[in-house]
Amino acid sequence: MTYLTVSDVTLTFGGLNALTDVNMDIEPGIITSIIGPNGAGKTSILNCISGFYHPSKGEIRYGRRSLTKASPHQVSNYGIARAFQNLELFSGLSVLDNLMLARHQNLNYSILHAVFYFGKAARLEAENRAYVEKVIDFMELEPYRKMMVGNLSYGVQKRVEVARALTLAPRLLLLDEPMAGMNIEEKEDIVRFILDLKKEWNITVVLVEHDLGVVMDISDQIYVLDFGMLIGKGTPDEVASNPKVIDAYIGEE
Amino acid sequence: MSANRWLSTGNYFTSYKEEQRIFATHLDRSVLLCFLAVLFAWPLLFEVSNKQMFVIDNIMIAMIAVVGLNLVTGFAGLISIGHAAFVGIGAYTIASFARLLGDTHMVLTHGWPALIVLAGFMGALFGAIAGLPAFRLKHLYLAIATLSFQMIFQWTINFMDFFDQGQTISVGRVFWVTGRVGRSDHYLFWYYVILVIIVLVGFGVRNLLRTKYGRCLVAVRDNDRAADAMGMHPGLTKVYAFALAGFLAGVAGALHAYLYRGVGIESFTLHHSINYLAMAIVGGLGTLSGSFWGPLAIKVLDMQVERLSEWTGGHLAVATNLATALKPLSFGLIIVLFLMFEPRGIANWWRIVRSYVKLWPFRY
Repeated sequence: MTYLTVSDVTLTFGGLNALTDVNMDIEPGIITSIIGPNGAGKTSILNCISGFYHPSKGEIRYGRRSLTKASPHQVSNYGIARAFQNLELFSGLSVLDNLMLARHQNLNYSILHAVFYFGKAARLEAENRAYVEKVIDFMELEPYRKMMVGNLSYGVQKRVEVARALTLAPRLLLLDEPMAGMNIEEKEDIVRFILDLKKEWNITVVLVEHDLGVVMDISDQIYVLDFGMLIGKGTPDEVASNPKVIDAYIGEE
Repeated sequence: MSANRWLSTGNYFTSYKEEQRIFATHLDRSVLLCFLAVLFAWPLLFEVSNKQMFVIDNIMIAMIAVVGLNLVTGFAGLISIGHAAFVGIGAYTIASFARLLGDTHMVLTHGWPALIVLAGFMGALFGAIAGLPAFRLKHLYLAIATLSFQMIFQWTINFMDFFDQGQTISVGRVFWVTGRVGRSDHYLFWYYVILVIIVLVGFGVRNLLRTKYGRCLVAVRDNDRAADAMGMHPGLTKVYAFALAGFLAGVAGALHAYLYRGVGIESFTLHHSINYLAMAIVGGLGTLSGSFWGPLAIKVLDMQVERLSEWTGGHLAVATNLATALKPLSFGLIIVLFLMFEPRGIANWWRIVRSYVKLWPFRY
């Protein structure tokens, strides 16, 4: 059963094709990686799925829903969460508030409840706080709970970024280079989180990553992009032996 | 061992509900309640002249307006240079009733609490309309759009016969359970009304800020792309921020109309918009307490400078021109100084003082 289908997606920026006829089938319950050299269109495809870009041609379907024209807040309501490559956190808020913001859609009390903070508002705030704590516990963010996000170190901010996406309680999680700029230890932590997400939380993960060692180790399925075109797909072993992929990464003699 | 609810030492929480309270300790709450009690009691204990009370009422009305401005500019990060126009919308809501029904009609004199709320909603409506450009515009461009609303408002009033081309439209004296509020009690009466409204606004906004309706404001300020990905519509959130600001401005405007017993365009000009913005900056953008400090500081500064210029003018006739220039000069200077040396405003000093008192006699 396919879950998320990207069919013949072309994304054009004023005559330049960022993506050309890309096809992908992302299956539930596994880790799918998208790799490729710089400027291959990896982030563009994530932007198309999460609604920040709308493809010029082709279709993106999630279950029975079409994501082709959906805006980011609709996509997030369908159960697809996204962690950004360059930190896009709310730097003026605490870690806790950042994560509580991801519960925005679940806090469905009225503004009147909010102004007087009674009944539903107080109850839902406490309930969702419990969920946020579950994520904080999982992502090991306890020491930073009340700290301003802008003051945290880069590695921790990256972790908050993943945690925030996770707090949306998604079924599909899009991670855009969650390990960029991290040291070995921090990378190992993130890898552990991703594997646990698959195993314990049953979340489908789409991973965009440059670290080929990590990708080959943890992915179940890999798509390789180059110059906006799909040049290979399959299991890590298949991809590693694909001559086109080797070409794109190492270049011809 | 039971938890100690009076001091922060030994005060631990066993549920998230307890932890999400505004007041961490009973002591915090008691101090605030005592302060409020003092605010309510002092005019009864001391002799206050009408003139002094008038100044205090003015400061308090500005506080309500600045809380609104702080929500849209400080929390949601949308610079609004048209805040006086929203205050004006509130005041002119009262004025239109005065024009339609006569300035001493029952609706105006007996139904004033309802009219104040109605003026708030009118402000919210116009705030939402003026905030529509926020769907597309950002930063400086949005500021220009709000400026244009200010201009449209002033021109519309200036050219409408219905509003007497912006000349003062009088509003009658109101009634309270004890009867008509007379000349001698007027300012004291409105002091209490405004105080009650400030307390309500303060608690309402404090509550709002710890729920999703407050967090979403900061979210669109810090990163509206991410806010979108978190499942909120950034454009609508910004319009909501303007509506919220408009509501509080409208309430402030209605109070202004009743306090001055008249509405004229000269109280809602661009100059006043800038003034509100200055109050928000000096008080501290993005803080609730700053909305109270700012108006107080700016108005007190204004009065002191005025006194100084009167004094120099009286002693040295040559310096009269200089003395008149002193007011805008000091006003500009204080904004520049705050932006340079304390961009977080007086609210930050207040925060430092509070944490010092809390930790005393220890350093940290």
